[in-house]
Amino acid sequence: MTLLSVNGVTKRYGGLTAVDDVSFDIMASELVGLIGPNGSGKTTLLNILSGLATADAGEILLDDTPCHGLTPEQLAHRGVMRMFQLTRVFRRMNVIDNLLVAGRALGLDHGEALTRAHALISELRLDAVAALDAGQLSGGQMKLLEFGVCFMVPPRIALLDEPFAAVHPTMKEIMGAFIRARHAKGQTFILVSHDMPVVVELCPRAICMNAGAVVIDAPTREVLNDARVIEAYLGGHAA
Amino acid sequence: MSAIDVDLAVNGFITGLFYALMAIGLSLIFGILKIVNFAHGEFYMVGAYAYTLVALAFGVPVWVALPIAFLVGALVGWATERTLMRPLYAGYTSWGLMRDEYAVIVTFGLSLFLINLVDKVIGPYAYRGPPLVETSRVVLGPVLISGHRLLAAGIAIAVILVTAALIKWSFWGQQIRAVSQNRLGASLAGIDTAKASAIVFMLSGGLAAFAGALLSPVINASPDVGIFPAVKSYIIVVLGGMGSVPGAIVASLLLGVIESFGAVYLSYQYRDAFGLILLMLFLLFRPQGLFGEKGREV
Amino acid sequence: MTQASPAPAAGAQLTTTKTTVEFRAALVAMAIVALIPLGVSNPYWLGVLIVSMYFAILAGGWNLLAGYAGQFSLAPATFAMIGAYTTGLLGTYYNVPPLLGIAAAIVVSGLVGLVLGRAVLRLVGPYLALTTLSFAEIMRLVASNTIDITRGDLGLGVAGLPIGRLAWYYLFLAVLVVLLILFYLLLRSKAGLFLQAIRDDEVAARRAGVDVVFWKTAAFTLSAAASGLAGALYAHFAELVTPELGLIAQTGLILSMAVIGGMGTLAGPLVAAFLVYVLSEWLRDVGGYQLVVFAALVVIFARFFREGLWGLAKAAVRRWRQA
Repeated sequence: MTLLSVNGVTKRYGGLTAVDDVSFDIMASELVGLIGPNGSGKTTLLNILSGLATADAGEILLDDTPCHGLTPEQLAHRGVMRMFQLTRVFRRMNVIDNLLVAGRALGLDHGEALTRAHALISELRLDAVAALDAGQLSGGQMKLLEFGVCFMVPPRIALLDEPFAAVHPTMKEIMGAFIRARHAKGQTFILVSHDMPVVVELCPRAICMNAGAVVIDAPTREVLNDARVIEAYLGGHAA
Repeated sequence: MSAIDVDLAVNGFITGLFYALMAIGLSLIFGILKIVNFAHGEFYMVGAYAYTLVALAFGVPVWVALPIAFLVGALVGWATERTLMRPLYAGYTSWGLMRDEYAVIVTFGLSLFLINLVDKVIGPYAYRGPPLVETSRVVLGPVLISGHRLLAAGIAIAVILVTAALIKWSFWGQQIRAVSQNRLGASLAGIDTAKASAIVFMLSGGLAAFAGALLSPVINASPDVGIFPAVKSYIIVVLGGMGSVPGAIVASLLLGVIESFGAVYLSYQYRDAFGLILLMLFLLFRPQGLFGEKGREV
Repeated sequence: MTQASPAPAAGAQLTTTKTTVEFRAALVAMAIVALIPLGVSNPYWLGVLIVSMYFAILAGGWNLLAGYAGQFSLAPATFAMIGAYTTGLLGTYYNVPPLLGIAAAIVVSGLVGLVLGRAVLRLVGPYLALTTLSFAEIMRLVASNTIDITRGDLGLGVAGLPIGRLAWYYLFLAVLVVLLILFYLLLRSKAGLFLQAIRDDEVAARRAGVDVVFWKTAAFTLSAAASGLAGALYAHFAELVTPELGLIAQTGLILSMAVIGGMGTLAGPLVAAFLVYVLSEWLRDVGGYQLVVFAALVVIFARFFREGLWGLAKAAVRRWRQA
């Protein structure tokens, strides 16, 4: 069953085509890796999918319903959760309140939200710092917190923008385990990452972008061995 | 164009020059610290008082009193930056996360403090500063202007050009521009960002004080004399684009001319409202002003 | 996977808990204010306290908008002025009775607040401050210059209420307490979470599903309506409305009370309003340095005591508990 359908999405900024006629379908319960060199359009695509930017052309269907032009809040209510590359948490609120915001905004009542928040704090090993304000956490802990915020209400699709970038190996392990566990239960993911070992380990399928366009969309092993992908990363020196 | 129109245009232009002295500093502060200094009017006030009192109480000649006023303003600016602006650079525990709000409150409070301190210590009475020359009427074609105002305009032009040149070509001018564009990058490149901020505040204070001094024969020194010029500066800085010195200069001249014509042809009563309305319109529809960069909104 | 533990993590104080603690403290303060007339009957000082309550409402309303939702508007005094003129003009030209006039003032101020709030949705920090500042000044200029209608700086006479000063005292206090309860209920609900989230990171709030447009507008509207109510009450108490109500200096006073009291806390601004205003009146008798002292306090608190008097009180209680 197609969960997300992206058809011919294009985005231009002045003379630059950041996203160039991108099309792919994501089925329910897939864990798809989105890779590509810096500037290939991955983050812009994620911005479009999460409502922070509007496509100039093309359409996006979530559960067969068009969601072009919806605001981030509206998309959140439809089940699109996006995690930012540069961590965004509510720094002057404590860890639990951070989680409660997402829970309450998406329809949980106080008791339910609190229960889930505690469960997530345990799962993400944030118990020791739960009393602190988010601004007092370390960078990795903030990332884990943002992670938790995104999963207070399990989304239809989770868009993770380089969650493993510059993160302590322990946190990486926790996040990886979390993703694997949720995926096993049917959670759909798009995972943007430069960390190839992680992409190989977690994602059965990968899409590679370069200069705004999709270069290849195939099982991960195939993608990583593809000459065009290697060329994209190394900058045009394919043998 | 009739004689009146020429007179209005020239006078508006000259008023704009004085506005520019005020606005350049404010624009620089915004560029480098991304805050609005709500005590800016009090730098002007301090300069008006320094010039007036030094000349009247100590009999210092006006040509010495002017630079003294500049220096006093620079000193107050420097002290403001050193004592009050630290929390802007701080992390989570301080105001670091609510920089804009801190700047509004602390500069607002400083403004209230300075106005009331002067009111209590020196007194609420207005002091008329000595004019640069005693010639009360100079005739330039259709324009009638006082000797002082003409001379002050000339000095203002010179100071503005020197300042603009310094910002563009001097070593510290370039450092300041670098910090304005990218604070983190600049500090990584080895620029002393705290010093750059201090210099900007000194320059800002000095220029505003200079304006206060130049205008004190006409707009006499009194505790709240700075409020009016400050409001003009806010308008100009937004119109010209926050952080843009050329923008501030152009917007100052434009505002001076618009107000000059508006007071005569539209409404004298609401002459101060034109600028405010322009300010609101720009903030709502074009916050980057005429020359500023985008990225001012959430 | 590991078990879920429903008990609050050690030491974690949810915003709902914090708000309740603050509410109780504020109620205690209100109780003290209610008892003051038992010991003080001097009408001058009762009047000072009544004006303090006027400011307490304004500071509380501004604190909701700025301390909780993070929107630093420089127009709180303007909405009080709008409320005051609404009831004053309705009374003068249409013989509208005071109670209806006050009700109208709430609606009119609220509507203006709603429109302004919608207009400035996209603005932050200094841009928001400057837009609201211009709005405030323009409104004041209009009030000053439409002399035919408002009598400008001469002031518009307003009907009083057939009650004595003591009754006014308790009327203002009752309104203040009702607003306190309303704000408490609001901030203890999910609204409190959402407003603070918007303050901390609007983009992250949207990502989490918060309807930022709705809540920001709501904060502006409520804050404006509360200010309008205070202004209207004051108009009937003082029996005069002038554009001075909307002076930027008045806004400065309101901001200072919130900062000194502790922004983003329920009790701080309320208590500080009393302390600051009473202190300033007392200092006026003593030598007239009240504004200097009080402005210095604002700067000092902003610079060194970010959490205001409430923060200092919390720290003191903590140290006392550990001793």
